[in-house]
Amino acid sequence: MTVTINNEGAKTYVVIDGRIDTATAGEFQDAVAPLMTSENPDIEIDCEKLSYTSSLGLRMFLMLQKSVQSRSGVLVLKNMQPSVREVFDITGFSNIIKII
Amino acid sequence: MKNEHTLSPSSQMILQQYDQYAAVWKVMKKVVTEETSKIVANSGVTVTAVDSRIKDRKSLHGKLELKGYKYFSISDLTDIVGVRITTFYTDDVDKVAALIAKVFDVDWKNSVDKRKMHELNSFGYMSLHYICRIPESLFKDESLPEVNTFRFEVQMRTALQHVWATIDHDIGYKTGIEIPVEHLRNLRRLAGMLELADEEFSRIRKEIADYRYKVEGLVKDGNFDDVALDADTFRRYLETQPFRALEEKIAAVNQAEIYHSSLMPFLKVLLKMGLKTLGDVERLRKNYSDAAYKLSLSEIADTDLNIISSTLALQNICIAYLYLQGSGVPGIQMFFDEYRGVSDRNRPEAESLMDRLKNINFDI
Repeated sequence: MTVTINNEGAKTYVVIDGRIDTATAGEFQDAVAPLMTSENPDIEIDCEKLSYTSSLGLRMFLMLQKSVQSRSGVLVLKNMQPSVREVFDITGFSNIIKII
Repeated sequence: MKNEHTLSPSSQMILQQYDQYAAVWKVMKKVVTEETSKIVANSGVTVTAVDSRIKDRKSLHGKLELKGYKYFSISDLTDIVGVRITTFYTDDVDKVAALIAKVFDVDWKNSVDKRKMHELNSFGYMSLHYICRIPESLFKDESLPEVNTFRFEVQMRTALQHVWATIDHDIGYKTGIEIPVEHLRNLRRLAGMLELADEEFSRIRKEIADYRYKVEGLVKDGNFDDVALDADTFRRYLETQPFRALEEKIAAVNQAEIYHSSLMPFLKVLLKMGLKTLGDVERLRKNYSDAAYKLSLSEIADTDLNIISSTLALQNICIAYLYLQGSGVPGIQMFFDEYRGVSDRNRPEAESLMDRLKNINFDI
C-alpha cells in the first residue's frame, strides 16, 4: 500500500493505493500521522485505488476526521470503489464522513 | 477646560475633590467592573453589554453648572463611577438587580426604578438605577477608605430601553435647540412602542420556555402523539436514547464498537417521509426495528467489521420502512438525497441496495 501526500495551497491532497487491513494499517497510520497536526486542516483523499478497508481503516479515517474537525477543517473521501463504499454504507460511516 | 469661576464655591470645591480622589475612582471602577462581570457571568443571563466609566471632568462641570445647588461635597454625587448592564429581556433586568443587591450595599433611599415612575399616559426613560457602595468584605485598602464610602451607580436596562435612552440623549442634549413638542411626542410614542416590544420579547421567551417544559413532560410521560416533530422536540426525544437498544443489538452481531454520532440530521429525512409527531417516530421505531435489524444482520454478519456508527440503527429503520412501504428505488434515493446530499451516486447505490433488500426475508 502506498500513500501519496501533496500540499497545494490551503488543502492537502492524499492518494491511497492498495488495501488497508491488519498487515498495512500501521503503515497507513504512519503515513497519515503528519496530517493530524498539519497546518492545512482541509484534506481530500482520493480512494480510487483503495481496493479494501477493514475496521482498522474505518477507525483511522474516523481519527483523521476528528483531528480535522477539531481544527475546523473538512475531510472528504472521493472516487471510492463500490466495494469500499459498501463498507462505509453498511457500518453507517457514510453518514458521518463526507464521501463524494 | 471650562471656566471654574462660573461655579459656586461649593461646586468648585467638589471639582477639586474630584481631582484629589482620582486614585479612588480608578480603584472603584476596577472593583465594580470586575464584580459586575462576575455577577453577570454567574447569573446565566445573556447581556448585550456591561459598560463602566468614570465621569469625566467636563461632564461633572456641566452637571455642577446645572444642579450644583444640590451638592455640598463630592460624596453627595453618586454617579462619578457608573456601570451599565444591558440585557435582552425585561425580566432579566430584575434578576440582575437582585444579584447586584446581594453583592454590593445598596442605598435604597436613593435608588430609583424609573420604569415605575411613568404616569398611565406617559412613556419615556425606563431604567433601573441602584446607588451602591463597595462593602469592605469585597474590597478593603486602608490607604483608600473612600473606596468603601463613596457611592457609585448601577444602571440596568434592556437593549431597547438603552437604544431609546441613547437616542433621546443624543437629540435632547446635542442639538442645543429646543425641540418642538410634536417631535418630542414622536419620541415618546417610540418609547411606548419599544416598551410593548420589550414585553412581547419577554412574553415570547416565556411561551417558548413553557412549550419546552410541556414537551419535556410529554416526552417523559410517553405522550408522543401530542408532540409535533421539530428540531426541539426531536432533540428531547433523542435524549431518551430510543434507538440505543437497536444500536446495541446490531453491534452485538460482530461484537462491534459503537461510534456515537448525532441523529439530529435524520430530522429532515423523517419530515420528508411525512412524519408529523413524535408519535409517528415512535411507531416507526417500534414497527421497523426488527426489519432494520434483519437488514443490518444481512449486511454485516458475514464481515469482520467491528465498528459501526450509531446512525446505522435509524438509517436502517428508515430504509426498511421505505422498502416495505413499497417506495422502491426512488424512495431509497430520496433518503440518500436528503440525508447525505444530492449526488449522481445516490441512484446506483439505491438500486444496488434495493437488490440486496429483495434477498432479505422480512416476514420471518
